[in-house]
Amino acid sequence: MLILVVDDSRVMRQIVIRTLRQSGHGGHDIVEAENGREALELCTTRSVDLVLSDWNMPEMSGIDLLESLRERGSTVTFGFVTSEGSDLMRSRAQAAGAQFLIAKPFTPEAFDAALNAAKVG
Amino acid sequence: MIAIDEPTISDVHAVVEEVWTSFLGSDEPIQIGASTETTSLVDRLMLDDDTWTAAITVTGAWEAMILISVPVPAAGLITVGMLGLDPAEAETCGLEDLTDALGELVNIVGGGVKSLMPGPSALSLPLVAQGAITSTSNLEEVCAVDLTWHGHPIRVSIDVPRTTHGIGG
Repeated sequence: MLILVVDDSRVMRQIVIRTLRQSGHGGHDIVEAENGREALELCTTRSVDLVLSDWNMPEMSGIDLLESLRERGSTVTFGFVTSEGSDLMRSRAQAAGAQFLIAKPFTPEAFDAALNAAKVG
Repeated sequence: MIAIDEPTISDVHAVVEEVWTSFLGSDEPIQIGASTETTSLVDRLMLDDDTWTAAITVTGAWEAMILISVPVPAAGLITVGMLGLDPAEAETCGLEDLTDALGELVNIVGGGVKSLMPGPSALSLPLVAQGAITSTSNLEEVCAVDLTWHGHPIRVSIDVPRTTHGIGG
């Protein structure tokens, strides 16, 4: 499985990758993008199975990335990993086609629960 | 206009503690320091190049600037910890890593504090600088939490616009 981790913070991308491993979801191929625009390009050139994306990013936000993917017909599993964890944001994410939203700060258990619920190996 | 109760010291401490435990481990808990009194402007102006400050703003139903100030050695420890490196590997961290780590830290603390307040509101992208960050707008500090981590003082403070703070109706 190919997982795309999207965050403008390199530190947070490392934390997300580390937490995937700690939650028992290591062993997958990982690619990284610094913003939504870069992620969108990667999704057109690589066969991505899961996108884990921040919400607030320069260039292109996570919600704009998700909407662009869905407009292009992509059905890739998409989850937000963001400090924007309000009910309003969760509703907006779901309406745009996200499978889950993990709020920062998170635990490996939160990752495991979200990925299992989304039926991600 | 409806008065908004600003976050309390215990609210902010709970948010910071959760962030610290999640991303920096629980071996060295962050603790409320001896002084929890709001600092004076003079104290804040004493922040110098030995200090890093990260700030993020919240706009919407609740408006605020949330700031985290840490001394240089603590900034290094935070960077190493968030990257999951051994302290001996600290030399491999550059300035970009440090500003990235502090920016992400204030982003997550800001998100936690924002979630305690009335919405909808939005977070800005974070700003990180050596020394103090001051706003040209008319802000006043309504909450400041002095903490200690690895023996270093950490300060988390919240500034809100004077015009919206404490005005009931």
